[in-house]
Amino acid sequence: MKRYFKLTGLFAKYSLMSALEYRINFITGVTVEMGWMIIKLLYVAIIYKAGTNIGILTPNHILLFVGTYVLMTGIYMLYYGNFWAIPGMVRQGELDLYIVKPVSLQFLVTMRRLDFAYLLPNFIAGVVMIAAGWHLAGLPADFLSVAGFLFYLACGCLLTYSLFLLPYLLSFWILSVGGISDISSALWDFNNMPSYLYGKWFRRIGTYILPIFVITNFPGLFLMGELTPFACVWGAAAPLLFFALSRILWKISLKRYSSASS
Amino acid sequence: MKSERCVFLMGVEQALEYRVSFFLSMLSAVFPIVIQTTMWNYLYRHSDAAAVFGYERGEILLYSLLASIVSQLVGTGFEGEMNEDIKMGGLNKYLVRPMGYKRYLFFRFLGQKVPRVLIIAPVMAAIIVLAFLQGLPISAGRTAAFLVSLSLAIILNFSIYFCIGLFGFWLTDAGQLFGTISIVLTVISGGVFPLDIFGGAAETLVNFLPFGYTTQFPVNIINGRFGWARMGIGFAFQIGWILIFVWLGKKMWKHGIKRYAATGG
Repeated sequence: MKRYFKLTGLFAKYSLMSALEYRINFITGVTVEMGWMIIKLLYVAIIYKAGTNIGILTPNHILLFVGTYVLMTGIYMLYYGNFWAIPGMVRQGELDLYIVKPVSLQFLVTMRRLDFAYLLPNFIAGVVMIAAGWHLAGLPADFLSVAGFLFYLACGCLLTYSLFLLPYLLSFWILSVGGISDISSALWDFNNMPSYLYGKWFRRIGTYILPIFVITNFPGLFLMGELTPFACVWGAAAPLLFFALSRILWKISLKRYSSASS
Repeated sequence: MKSERCVFLMGVEQALEYRVSFFLSMLSAVFPIVIQTTMWNYLYRHSDAAAVFGYERGEILLYSLLASIVSQLVGTGFEGEMNEDIKMGGLNKYLVRPMGYKRYLFFRFLGQKVPRVLIIAPVMAAIIVLAFLQGLPISAGRTAAFLVSLSLAIILNFSIYFCIGLFGFWLTDAGQLFGTISIVLTVISGGVFPLDIFGGAAETLVNFLPFGYTTQFPVNIINGRFGWARMGIGFAFQIGWILIFVWLGKKMWKHGIKRYAATGG
């Protein structure tokens, strides 16, 4: 485990060095993310303008939830480029280079390049929105609340990685996964608004079957004391279950890999 | 017109090359519509949203449904390819062909739209009929005006993005920048929400800038927000902006081509 942390640190260092070398790319990467953020902020602006609650959530709570979504988007985008590159690597046999290395192939393929340009604006805006929403909604800021919030954020990170890797594994079976990438991005955007906006059944499916709502709703709900004991356990168990699933499916998919053109 | 027809048919073929991917992309456009219609339904049920946003519930729902569809219809996506052609010397082969580069892009762009139109047209017709049955003031004349404005919007958006693509002559790496421009233009064209819900300054900007005439203007014709006089002014703006961008495109091409190094190719 220690080795993987050290490797992640090295990947981060080299990615950062590369970002500083190609500064224009870094700046344009930041502007792309800022463009997407405008759309996310429009949703918040509309909620504040309407001045209405969504279920038990006031506009200030919603600001906290959207902030969590923005922050999680930044963390997801940090390694998203690796997911996006998987189909090309499978098609062109580039996995050959990594398959012989003495570390986990899944780790190497999905974490080797980290894009700080996408993380930076989302991280700053997300943290500001979370802090503002937290303060304005008058939520507790004691040790237990902060620790719980951070714990569910960490769970959300693992769940995002595990859940959103799954569509890209289809590239071992089909040639063009552009549409799959579009669908998974569109699914991610369901978190643009809190799950309370949607109907009961939709919410249950999004929490327990395809748990996209767990990622950005559970940290805020924990803070509000609105997580049932079962939901508390599910919030911690779902990332582990889906991580195990992603490992199993990765190994199954890899058996389909037919190496380079040789 | 024989070469134009060939390029047009090539565009149709290109759009259908990866069919599964194409249909999944189309399907992914449904999700934002679900999010928006759910949100608007909720807000209109639980607050006096009509007074706050200046749109009746039916108008805003029809807007959410149609804006996403219109964005798909007018959307381009060739600007990145233009940048590649300029950078990598791919433009060379178009310079010696009997058909100009812009003409080639335009007819291929129209061809690529055909499969999308075939899927979208019945959906759009069903939505409009449903909106009519719900009591929105939709008439044959208004529908015809909507179709004319939609056609002009497609030409206007093509002209705008052609000019954006030509930035490749001056910028070293414009690839990612196009992504930003595309997102920002989608927002200020009203492709996500109608910008006039934010009131005063936003509404004035949408009325004078060209971008609102690619999405917000056609959609607001069909949902009954504009009277005939306002439509007339809108059409004049649409045509005016098309003429300006066609002229600008010619000027930019003329100056840009002098900088073209014809590397590789």
